[in-house]
Amino acid sequence: MKNKGQVWVSDKDLSNDAQWRHEVRRENIPSNVADVVADANEMLSGNRRDFLKMLGFSLSAAVVASCDIPVKKALPYVVKPENIVPGNAVYYASSFVTGSDYCPVIVKTREGRPIKIEGNPKSTMTGGGTSARAQAMVLSLYDMYRLRHPGKLEDNTLKRMSWEDLDIAISGKLTANSNIRIVTHTTMSPSLDKAFEAFKQKYPNTEVVTYDPVSSTAMLLANEKDFGQRVIPGYRFDKADVVVSFNADFLGTWISPVEFAHQYAKKRETQDFDRPQVLKHIHVENGMSLTGSNADERILVKPSQQGIAMAHLYNAVAARKGAVSITVPPIEDEAGKALKAAAVELVKAGAKGLVVSSSNNVAEQQIVNAINHLIGAYGTTLDFNEASYQRKGDDRAIRALLNDMKSGKVDALFVHHANPVYDTPFGTAFGEAMAKVSLKVGIDTNANETNVLCDYLAPDHHMLESWGDVHPKRGVYSFLQPTINPLFDTRQAGESFLTWAGSDLLDTKAEQPYYEFVKANWMDRLGGQAAFDAVLESGVYTTKEAALEVPYNGDNNSLGRGITKPGNSEYEISFLESIGVGNGAYSNNPWLMEMPDPVTRCSWGNYLQVPIHFDGVNDFTSIKGIHEDGAILNVAIGGGEEQALPVFRQFGIMDGTLSMTLGYGRTMAGPVGSDFGHNMYPFLQEADGLTQYYNDSVTVGEPTGEKEEHFACVQYHHTFGIKDVDKASGEVINADEAALVSDDWKGITSGFQGALTDRSIVYYTPLHEKDEFAKELHEKREEAEHLNQQTLYPYDKYKEELYDQGHHWELYIDTNKCTGCAACTISCMAENNVPIVGKKEVSRHHEMTWLRIDRYYFGSAKNPNTFYQPMMCQQCDNAPCENVCPVNATNHSSEGINQMAYNRCIGTRYCANNCPYKVRRFNWLDYTTADLFRPNEPVVAQEELPFGADSLFRMILNPDVTVRSRGVIEKCSFCVQRIQEGKLNAKMEGRRLADGDVKTACQTACPTGAIVFGDQNDKESKLNKLKESPLTYYVLEEIDVRPTVAYRAKLVNTENLNEV
Amino acid sequence: MAEKRFIFRAIQLVFALMLMAQTGVFGQASAAKGKSLFKANCAACHNKNMKDDMTGPALCGVEERWADYPKSDLASWIHNSQKLIQSGHPRAIELWNKYKPITMTPFPSLTEEDIESILMHIKEVCEKGPATAAAGAAGSGGAPATKVDDSNLLYYILFGLFAILALILFNIVSSLDYVRQLEEEVPNPKKLSLMSGLKSTGFKRVVTFFLVVFLGHFLVKGAISLGRQQGYKPDQPINFSHKIHAGDNKIDCKFCHDGARRSRHSMIPDNATCMKCHKAIKVGSKDGTAELTKIYASQGFDPNTGEYIEGFKDMPMDEVAGIYKKWIGDNYMSENDLTSLDAAGESEVEKQWKNIVRSLTNEFKSHVYGPIEWVRVHNLPDHVFYSHRQHVEVGKLECQTCHGPIETMDKVYQYSPLSMGWCVNCHRNTEIQLDNPYYEDYELLHKKMKAGEKVTVADIGGTECQKCHY
Repeated sequence: MKNKGQVWVSDKDLSNDAQWRHEVRRENIPSNVADVVADANEMLSGNRRDFLKMLGFSLSAAVVASCDIPVKKALPYVVKPENIVPGNAVYYASSFVTGSDYCPVIVKTREGRPIKIEGNPKSTMTGGGTSARAQAMVLSLYDMYRLRHPGKLEDNTLKRMSWEDLDIAISGKLTANSNIRIVTHTTMSPSLDKAFEAFKQKYPNTEVVTYDPVSSTAMLLANEKDFGQRVIPGYRFDKADVVVSFNADFLGTWISPVEFAHQYAKKRETQDFDRPQVLKHIHVENGMSLTGSNADERILVKPSQQGIAMAHLYNAVAARKGAVSITVPPIEDEAGKALKAAAVELVKAGAKGLVVSSSNNVAEQQIVNAINHLIGAYGTTLDFNEASYQRKGDDRAIRALLNDMKSGKVDALFVHHANPVYDTPFGTAFGEAMAKVSLKVGIDTNANETNVLCDYLAPDHHMLESWGDVHPKRGVYSFLQPTINPLFDTRQAGESFLTWAGSDLLDTKAEQPYYEFVKANWMDRLGGQAAFDAVLESGVYTTKEAALEVPYNGDNNSLGRGITKPGNSEYEISFLESIGVGNGAYSNNPWLMEMPDPVTRCSWGNYLQVPIHFDGVNDFTSIKGIHEDGAILNVAIGGGEEQALPVFRQFGIMDGTLSMTLGYGRTMAGPVGSDFGHNMYPFLQEADGLTQYYNDSVTVGEPTGEKEEHFACVQYHHTFGIKDVDKASGEVINADEAALVSDDWKGITSGFQGALTDRSIVYYTPLHEKDEFAKELHEKREEAEHLNQQTLYPYDKYKEELYDQGHHWELYIDTNKCTGCAACTISCMAENNVPIVGKKEVSRHHEMTWLRIDRYYFGSAKNPNTFYQPMMCQQCDNAPCENVCPVNATNHSSEGINQMAYNRCIGTRYCANNCPYKVRRFNWLDYTTADLFRPNEPVVAQEELPFGADSLFRMILNPDVTVRSRGVIEKCSFCVQRIQEGKLNAKMEGRRLADGDVKTACQTACPTGAIVFGDQNDKESKLNKLKESPLTYYVLEEIDVRPTVAYRAKLVNTENLNEV
Repeated sequence: MAEKRFIFRAIQLVFALMLMAQTGVFGQASAAKGKSLFKANCAACHNKNMKDDMTGPALCGVEERWADYPKSDLASWIHNSQKLIQSGHPRAIELWNKYKPITMTPFPSLTEEDIESILMHIKEVCEKGPATAAAGAAGSGGAPATKVDDSNLLYYILFGLFAILALILFNIVSSLDYVRQLEEEVPNPKKLSLMSGLKSTGFKRVVTFFLVVFLGHFLVKGAISLGRQQGYKPDQPINFSHKIHAGDNKIDCKFCHDGARRSRHSMIPDNATCMKCHKAIKVGSKDGTAELTKIYASQGFDPNTGEYIEGFKDMPMDEVAGIYKKWIGDNYMSENDLTSLDAAGESEVEKQWKNIVRSLTNEFKSHVYGPIEWVRVHNLPDHVFYSHRQHVEVGKLECQTCHGPIETMDKVYQYSPLSMGWCVNCHRNTEIQLDNPYYEDYELLHKKMKAGEKVTVADIGGTECQKCHY
């Protein structure tokens, strides 16, 4: 079999690291007793009073418990709103918009509190998918550290003002001649634009400066030159057969990742086994991005040689198409060959080919345009008729603003949801220049590095409290409607600008002035209140726009002038936006901070990713002799001072290059976001006024010998498949150890003998060998079934009498479609009240996620392919956890669910130890409730109250799911609350449960439809159709635990797997 | 030592016998058991003397009246009378015609044995208890005090018997020991005194053992009942009577508790729901203006004019007081045919208004406007999921099944224990509505039903943990 013994998670399971094995085995035992004792001492230090308090408490608790039950009040409404039935959820369509991030959503509210985000299936862009960021927006609503009222900033404190006073103060300082700048990230709201216009009318010397922290200015400029359109074309990955991406992380962060992932999945469709719809994705990069990890083939190219690589691809395409070529410096052999092969594929695909690039160099983007034009992709895979407005930022404008401020030309600066002091390469200079502006107003939901330097703060509503409209794409509109009354004394930004402009467009006497304003903007267009209400209800609105003729007028003869000159430094570094915290806008969101990066699997910070080498026997080397992740390395980037950065050795990073994510190292983000990771924005280079997301002059110093405190990487946590029985002796041995020391071991050529040797965990096959593979998989599954039949237990009888009656739930996960984006993990946390534990707890293997995405590598160690495997409780029908519970707290339901009764659990953790999938989580501390005693509470960040204890945060808790307390085990429940709800609705309506009535939280969050939940007993269900695929398998099927989560083996569209 | 061992064994035997006797008494169906079941389930509607009608008919001769029909029919009447009426049972229809629209609370959780016990108790009262019946009818309200409880009497007798037996045994032991001493020619042979027997280590050990067992038993029992509040009957901010509304006026429960049909919560009605009727009925039959004015004051309805007051939320409290005091005063005058308020009237108005303010305000809320802070009577722990619509709409249960004879309660109390055992027992005994098309997938259950077997909630997984805990 192709993948036999060639899958690994990290270097440690390859090298069979003894310390790691020890840690993993002891996952459910406090890993380091000394550590725990030290912690307890630290928290209890010298506290005789605490001891007495505890004594007193236990006494009084006993007394209280024996007395009457506390009186509980029940408050009805005075007048109940018609559409609210207490206990039933109400859903509103709205949108998630932060800068250029956009996702149409449905907001679930209970008793007036938004508690969960679902995708809006009516959207033509996302088809109902979401991203981790969209899922997490509901938590940012309940952020304790939001700005709570308007005011004047004096001595770093916000002195409260009334809105009237603030308006008088600001308007009083503006004159008709004032030089005003509004600085903002990309905005997509037509109504907000209109408000800006109204402001400009009152103050004609106003300029709106739009920029993006991770910018696509070069694309806008290149398209303006080549097509006369200063926009980004609409991409159609679902129409592409071959995609070549130059560093564009389109599944993770680039332009519109949810939309692209939705499209991409349509070309990872393997349901028709004989004719699978699988595109070929070639990724050119130096680091390991999420999108790169999903690619079929990766071509490693240094960041400064991206332009050259594009030119080589162009030349290869041009040679076949008979176009003029570009004079270009040579490129490394390996990359050159691969690019030539890619060109062949591209030309073959013709109009169904697509080249994308995230380069912020106009000449390079023009080469990309030229290639797409040569192969005839415009009109199919790219289309200006569906142009995207999700990036409007102009790097030159923000630089011009900096210079204007320095020279004192700016009288007033309005910072609207932007943070140039943090997220531009010249942040410090920007902060200094701000001092020269006499009036500075910050408009945002939270304090940030920039608006704390302002004079006044006019806090904005959160998205979920706002009215608004979004225009993300040509012909596509989307709306925002509030789902809760504003929690604080805030006012929507558009309303503020209209007020300051004294505009008569704003009816200040109305109950909701901004609503009236937005409505007025749409009434004519839609033709009345009823139509407006209808679009609000559906959340999205599409129009048919006139077809555009966009001729290409690029000049191929001048192509390639101005592409990046290759650097000559020993090391280069590339910077990518973080999947979780983005460009830094989401830093104070603990869900996103704790979400492990899908590729590195590190959380609570960013780490310098360095290449790692396998020496072919049993050891790994990295740069500067670093042998451990989390080690601190001195690195000087861009000729500046040496920075001490924590290192993560990442497979697939090109030699001589490094990689790091942006978005961390905030200083004024609030306690959750501040002081985690390192701010990399100051190290971005500039070329031609445009920000470059790499640095080609890096000097690597020596390791400091220290280690990152509480290095929170979950890569090694909860791995499975270590134990095995030695066939000769019959003893239980460590499988990977045996594999390594045995004579069979022949080094890298016979495949990595990692922990996952010969166990059915991960299956993949090159596309052209799929038939052979399916046969082998079938044999293997038959063998497993044969083994499983050797039992005394009458499983078939149970099945007939119990599971075949009513429902038998099952989950199907298509690993071809899974991109590892982690939207499901956040959705799961929101739905099931899964707690946040903080960096230190994560570093101790204590993360609580019910659903993790395991990341495996296969192929070559130098340039591996990646396999993402969402792993949650497999709801085994013959579950090993159930047998070992001494109190029967976990047992099996007749619907095939391994149920967990928290109140029965006494915390022996036997079940977690006995779980072959390592999906059970133990509440080591009181993570969600406020415990009376400090040592029982985790410290997530530097906050005063333990996280989760403040009443604001607790508004997010799903009232249908128990909040677990300290000392109990918890795990995935297949969203049993949703199952029960679905069943009850069917019973109420007197009908059978229909397929799709019950969807798990992970399923609804998924942008690619990789997760499908269903009833095995419903023969017509989608689940059963999916299971018919010969690529279907169960993880660890041979150990007779009868899991009910099916996976589909991954097809890799490449012919040269393992040959690299 | 020998004698000590003997004493130990003897006493052990006594206790063991006593324990056996005790469990024997409580293990069978009996009139005593029937009595407690009657008290818990029937006495709210059926007269204790069994001779006079109350809400429900007198129960003497009930078995004779049902003698024409199979015994199971009476049982099904008790389990769910409405079902039997609908099935066209002649006796059921006869009863319905006599008593409608009062329906008998269904008791699906009573087993055959329970019903047998209750019938035994009824028979016993009818036959033996004219005196007791008289005492009950005289209205002293309590259980007949003169009569010793059957089970207790037996227990005391047995205890006495065993105590005598123990003494006799001790005496034999002590005599035997004395004889032994004589035979062994021990100097100063002595009979064992009772005191020395009681002081012996063996006896102490036995006592300690049983103390631990009994204390442990009570501790566990006590711990289990922690947080349970059957019979909980708190004062409410409004002296609202379910008897008047649901009993006398026969308003459907779900008219106000509308959530029971469509939500997990039955929902305490909003203040506006009260206004559906009380816009017209402004003076209560029991409390006059004293309680109803609270409803008006909580939402700014002016009963003098029949209009809602504009800007009521922000109206100063003395102005608010003026409006409602006028209303109370006017009513007082018209009731007593006065043209102006007398001193008693003044104090009555003051008293009522003070009470209204006390009921509608608290330390965080000084205005009377706002939701009424009812005291929750039925509290389930946070880790229990319960859905009213599941039980009321899908399971077609009567509200009274769990909430008891709510239509007879002036002040609501918690009727059922709301314990997990109580829930689970009902799930084991209650048949499901298998005709709901939802259950079509359950082939085996349909077969079972056709074979005449009961298909209960437990058969569709109703006793599994994650039906209620998640």
